[in-house]
Amino acid sequence: MLLDPRTLRQAAPAATAHRDGGRELPVEPQARGTIPPDPVGPDSLVGIPRVQTNPSRWNGASWDAFVSDLARAGVDVREEKGTRAAFVTDAGGLAFGMPHGVVTARSAEQVAAVLSAAQARRVPVTTRGGGLTTEGESVAFGGLQLDMTGMSRMVWVDREKMLARVQGGMFWHDMAEVLRRQGLDYISAPLNFTSSVGGTLAVGGIDVNACRHGCSADQCVAMEVVTPTGQIVECSEDRNPELFERVLLGYGQFGVVTEATMRVRPYTPCRMHYLFYDDLRTAMEDLIVVVRSDATDYSGILTMKDRANNLLFAFDSEEREKDFFANVRPKLRGLTEMQFAVRAAGFYALRPWRIEEALWLYRRKKLLLPEFERPEHLRDGKMFDRTVVFSRAVWRHWGNRTMVIPDLATSEEKFIEAILRGNRVMRKYFAHYTLYCVAIRLSGNRPRYEMSCIPPDARDWAYGCEFEPMFEPGEYSRDHLQSFKNAIYDVGVEMRTSYYRFGGSMKGYIRRVFGDAVVDRQLEFKRQADPAMILNPDVVF
Amino acid sequence: MISPSPRNVDVLVVGASLSAAACAKRLVDAGLETVVIERKKLPRHKVCSGILSPRGHRFLIENFGPLPREVLHEPTSCTGVTFHFPSAPSIDIDFFGGPTPHLYRKQSDWWAIRRSGVEVQDETSFARLEAGDGGVVVHATHRGRPQEFRARWVVGADGPTSMVVKAVYPEYQASIPWFMVGQKFHQIEACPLDTRYFHFWFHPALGHYTWSHARDGRQIVGVGFDVGHNFDRAHANVVKYLGKRHGVRLGPAQDSEGCGENFGLSLVNRYVFGRGRVLITGQAAGFLNMMAEGMSAALHSGAICGESIVEAAFHGEPAQAVYRRHIASEVRRCSDQWNPLQIAFGRPHEADFWKALGPLGIGERAKVIAEILAFIRLYARFKWGREILGQAVHRLIRGGYDEARWW
Repeated sequence: MLLDPRTLRQAAPAATAHRDGGRELPVEPQARGTIPPDPVGPDSLVGIPRVQTNPSRWNGASWDAFVSDLARAGVDVREEKGTRAAFVTDAGGLAFGMPHGVVTARSAEQVAAVLSAAQARRVPVTTRGGGLTTEGESVAFGGLQLDMTGMSRMVWVDREKMLARVQGGMFWHDMAEVLRRQGLDYISAPLNFTSSVGGTLAVGGIDVNACRHGCSADQCVAMEVVTPTGQIVECSEDRNPELFERVLLGYGQFGVVTEATMRVRPYTPCRMHYLFYDDLRTAMEDLIVVVRSDATDYSGILTMKDRANNLLFAFDSEEREKDFFANVRPKLRGLTEMQFAVRAAGFYALRPWRIEEALWLYRRKKLLLPEFERPEHLRDGKMFDRTVVFSRAVWRHWGNRTMVIPDLATSEEKFIEAILRGNRVMRKYFAHYTLYCVAIRLSGNRPRYEMSCIPPDARDWAYGCEFEPMFEPGEYSRDHLQSFKNAIYDVGVEMRTSYYRFGGSMKGYIRRVFGDAVVDRQLEFKRQADPAMILNPDVVF
Repeated sequence: MISPSPRNVDVLVVGASLSAAACAKRLVDAGLETVVIERKKLPRHKVCSGILSPRGHRFLIENFGPLPREVLHEPTSCTGVTFHFPSAPSIDIDFFGGPTPHLYRKQSDWWAIRRSGVEVQDETSFARLEAGDGGVVVHATHRGRPQEFRARWVVGADGPTSMVVKAVYPEYQASIPWFMVGQKFHQIEACPLDTRYFHFWFHPALGHYTWSHARDGRQIVGVGFDVGHNFDRAHANVVKYLGKRHGVRLGPAQDSEGCGENFGLSLVNRYVFGRGRVLITGQAAGFLNMMAEGMSAALHSGAICGESIVEAAFHGEPAQAVYRRHIASEVRRCSDQWNPLQIAFGRPHEADFWKALGPLGIGERAKVIAEILAFIRLYARFKWGREILGQAVHRLIRGGYDEARWW
């Protein structure tokens, strides 16, 4: 007997089954988003829903007909292996998938043609901007990869209203380049060179100034969206507000963002300050003080393991800086670099068996701190492009080909306990690591926050922490990394928090953390918007 | 139907078991042209207790989807393991996270293979391999006719008596100790052993591996015996003991089966991972957890093997080197289960032995430990003690096991 998936393409997919002794064995997966009862036992794997998180590769049924449809509509699908192989994984580097073909998006009309043909032929479409997902959300497990980087222009800038209209596939860094020639800047964006505007709006986008300005998605005032059925719809808080709220923080389930109108602001360099803590809890308590004071324009915590904790904050204006140092700084318990060095030297002198940790901290400091003070990014003590500085540091000194950064997003009340528990997980799995914490200001109680990185019990601010292992001295298998991510996410389930990112290979957690009622409501919205469930099919449901 | 020889593929996987399915899943996902060959006609029978660990259960769900009823025996799940002793009280040890599947291996393996999306060719026996131009040439036999595959990489996922291991290391299989296990299926007249549990006897007089559990209305009684020894006699001895000690009354055995196991490699960290473009994985590589559970380690090592080939394929690195770097975490996890320091001070198993001892009095606890130690003496003749201790110390100091000991 020969079982060849290429011959299966011709078969009706839902009916593919194998007969054995008169018993039909189901081959096809359950309907997307639903969870069948488990015959093993109701009390087996307690709390873990039966979700296939490493998707099956789509079998290619109807692919050829789909490509012909698109050819007639004038859309070019690239099928050569070299092109497809460029999309084999994402920044996470743990999920591998190969699309059947790639379309580079050029216009909303073209995206609409792709999606309406995909809907008719039931071909999965996976969108990708910068590919900076970490759980395979932008990886196509067969089907079509819609590469949005072809739509990367600034459409217009309105200096009076302080708005800019950008295409969905534009990287934030390119957006900044255009804006800064006019003395403008985006408000907040992920600290990364190559995240796209459209992709960011779908998940959140956290900057070190999110404590003051909220996530990137909250900077958006209007969008042009291509729905999963191929309609081009303009939406905002006034026009089609429902769609607007679903697409923002919607994990790409309700439409493809082809254009977005974003709030902008005058460009200002920022002045950075650092305080040092040897105790993680104290650093987190002080971060909360800083965030609540609303006296800084930027704030966050960056640690080396949990021994050297750096509370960083920055200002756009000198008045605010002065205010802060007069009113808030006296309440903080952080040390200067020199004070910290003296304390640390004393600590390790009494604990010679921890010499390896001490040396690692010292080497890390020597390597990392100059990265934040490189002369080409500083003028008169002010940092001229925080994105460049942070992005460069992140890509050079964290992770490698695999970016493993599970996270917890919590309310203020749960922040400290959740991160301390996560820190214990971190110590168990890795010799060396970094934690990165920031606060995210909420803009009221918006529908977009349901089932998103904003936890349901957060008020005014949400707090998040990324747990970032270092891959020295060894390498780790995907399995080890996945177990680590599961352990961090388990903390989230037990404490009812949320996550910055929870799709793709972590989607098994969605029902656990948000509950069935919320997920089923979202699933119903999804089924209405995308009857064939083809748009980013393996990301959430 | 059969492609004309030679068939060019990216990866040829030998064996159609769980490790092969996990490996194939990673390869197929990444778009590599992969063929699985299997000696028997699929779905094929497999001698196995079928009790999968919770970690393995989770792997199956995450990678192949929720389990259909057809891949399970009756009872469909196993709550834990009951340890029995010559005189100490029996103790129940429950798996973490609730009961775990009782897999019907004939169907579960076939289901996983099909869910991986890989192309399968059954009734095809691996014969030999040789280095080819930028790859490996594999000679196989399909229904008596010779067939040739040219693969960039070959994966040996063909179990303890792996033909691929034999081809790469002709001297290997004669150099390791072999253990025989056999089981018989009985009609039940009266069986007070709890059907929710897998029962295991730490009893030196019964044999080095003695177990019993319920399956599809019958009772399995299994026993380990030395190569060349009489299975029937060892088995009859156990049945007699079960009757006397536990009041188990069984009808005559209806079916009987057995197999050889390469037990011991994970204890002493002597795994075999292949050479060059030939990678070995699953139980063929020596992965076997405590209680002879090989399935979860097979799934995870198979996946790591697939990932390593994918990484090699897309980054132009030697797959063997990538595999050996990545497999270290699974080696750590599996060998930790046998590492006395880990057992004493860590929690390497998916069930908490020390917690299960909790309700016993101090005297009873001491008796349990003493009887386990007396049982372990059965293995003294293999002289593994020093090696196990050496590896335990290496693990303590270096954080991992010595990679130089791998074949």
